[in-house]
Amino acid sequence: MDLGFQKACAELKRIREEGVRDSERVVDLWCDCVSRYTNRLGDEKWALYEQVFISALDCGRLEAADACLVQLSRQFPNSQRIRRYEAMRLEAEDNLDAATEIYKKMYETDKLDSLSRKRLVAVLKARGRSVEAIKELTSYLKDFCTDFEAWLELSELYLNECDYKKAAFCMEELILSNPHHHLYHQRYAEIKYTEGTTESMELAKSYFAQAVRLNPNNMRALFGLLLAAGNCASSTNKSSTSASRRESARLAQWAAAQVAERYRAAGSKAAKFTTSNSSNSSDAASSDVATLALQLSLCCSPTAAAGDASSPSQGQQQPASNPPML
Amino acid sequence: LDSAIRMWVFLPLVIITFLFGVIRHYVTILISAEKKAEPEQVSDQQVLMRSRLLRENANYIPRQAFASRKYYFNDPEHGFFKTVKRENAMMKNPMTDPSMMTEMVKGNVLNMIPMLVIGGWINWAFSGFLTTKVPFPLTYRFKPMLQRGCESLVSLDASWVSSASWYFLNIFGLRSVYTLVLGADNSADQARLMQDNMMMNPGGAAGGQGFDANKAFKAEWETLEIVEHNWALENVVESLIGSSGSGGLSDDLLITGAAEDAPAALIGRGGPRGGAAVSPGSGRKRGK
Repeated sequence: MDLGFQKACAELKRIREEGVRDSERVVDLWCDCVSRYTNRLGDEKWALYEQVFISALDCGRLEAADACLVQLSRQFPNSQRIRRYEAMRLEAEDNLDAATEIYKKMYETDKLDSLSRKRLVAVLKARGRSVEAIKELTSYLKDFCTDFEAWLELSELYLNECDYKKAAFCMEELILSNPHHHLYHQRYAEIKYTEGTTESMELAKSYFAQAVRLNPNNMRALFGLLLAAGNCASSTNKSSTSASRRESARLAQWAAAQVAERYRAAGSKAAKFTTSNSSNSSDAASSDVATLALQLSLCCSPTAAAGDASSPSQGQQQPASNPPML
Repeated sequence: LDSAIRMWVFLPLVIITFLFGVIRHYVTILISAEKKAEPEQVSDQQVLMRSRLLRENANYIPRQAFASRKYYFNDPEHGFFKTVKRENAMMKNPMTDPSMMTEMVKGNVLNMIPMLVIGGWINWAFSGFLTTKVPFPLTYRFKPMLQRGCESLVSLDASWVSSASWYFLNIFGLRSVYTLVLGADNSADQARLMQDNMMMNPGGAAGGQGFDANKAFKAEWETLEIVEHNWALENVVESLIGSSGSGGLSDDLLITGAAEDAPAALIGRGGPRGGAAVSPGSGRKRGK
């Protein structure tokens, strides 16, 4: 797609500044227009080379990556950053041992080099050695405990190992860093939901509610709220009173109503822009989801009102409530 | 004033001061040693930042989580702030530590000597006449300040400025020009350097490298001790759907409404509660 040189550069700059990971687009823009006219760019070209290099590695287009790396290393010999890029190139070729060597050496010469340590963790992750990756990342976090990217990554690694308590700990760090970000609350709630104990279900319910409060359009949090409240409403634990179960049932119904409303609205919005056939089908789909949600919530209320006696029927009516929400 | 004065005194003084400032800036950059941060120092600073975040946002994580973190930091036997003692940075007193000494000496030399030299030369070369006039009237008190070289003219209006005083005026005045030309935080900025010097001595710790970890830890320990945990999500369900199923936020949250400002208005604050499991049912009872 020939966009013209200026527009291509402007778009690459926008991608660079916003931090969007659209590697295919970057490499396409590069190969189509920008690569032939780099001498027009002046000093911006080094940042551009970096950006294209990393995107090319992402897409597996190693020749484009090599071209950029050659230019960069010619301009900046003896640079730590270029060395790291060379190691990344080796990683892309799957030559993980050599890459690890380079990263270890860089870390030894400069103890403050956080980026090479993080790449080391990435290499271990690529090799599938999650336990070692976790160990390396925890020692990194001992030194740099305010690196929130790293906490997020550690939380994912723990989730892969199904260590939910520690994953929840990492998410708590993230919530501490940014307490008004609805996705952190939602993730934390999902981890607590997956743990499955009664207290964690209560916590999950509260955090889902908080996520919905922070962003009322968060569908995943609404569904989570529905399921968590449903679980709380039908819990047979001694500590949950009937009042709290009724409360949870009411919450589940409210969440179901919200979900139904949104699907209905989305269906009608779609109906305005599409032909009559597809609008019928989307309408049908949205009303299906709406009825499903309402049924689910109706299941909660009679069981809550009935009290402890109906445990077998609860098991039947809520088959989908316990898969890990990841 | 004679236009010859204008051309040969006024402007050259400005130009000289400015150029010397620029030269000082570049020479300082070339000479001064690179400031290397210790890895331990960096990690200490990050720990302090983490503890600060904990204090500020403690209300958003569950009580148990907050308690375990507070234990990690503050516990008398195992807590981080109690057990970790760093080798003191008090050594960085200018008198005892040789590397700090050289830094200071270099800084002083580089700034003071040119100033003295040029000041002296100007006094010798350009003394005895007026250079310019300040455009606003001044009181008598300013006379000795502004008329360095020509004390003889007692009756002269204080608005007239002699060349030596003009030179000093330039040094301070061109600071903003330096910021424009060289970017902020440049070494030609003498007045700021002098300010830094003033603040260093009463403080007792050296500027720059003097991050005193032990004091910082102790201060952080104290502030963390007094933090109380009021779980912000105590009444979240109540504020989400209202205590009787209508009202509360339920209207706002339907899709057409803009609910962006709703959370700010309704963060519930319950009293401190014991136990790890907080159920909204009890919150509702309290609300009624």
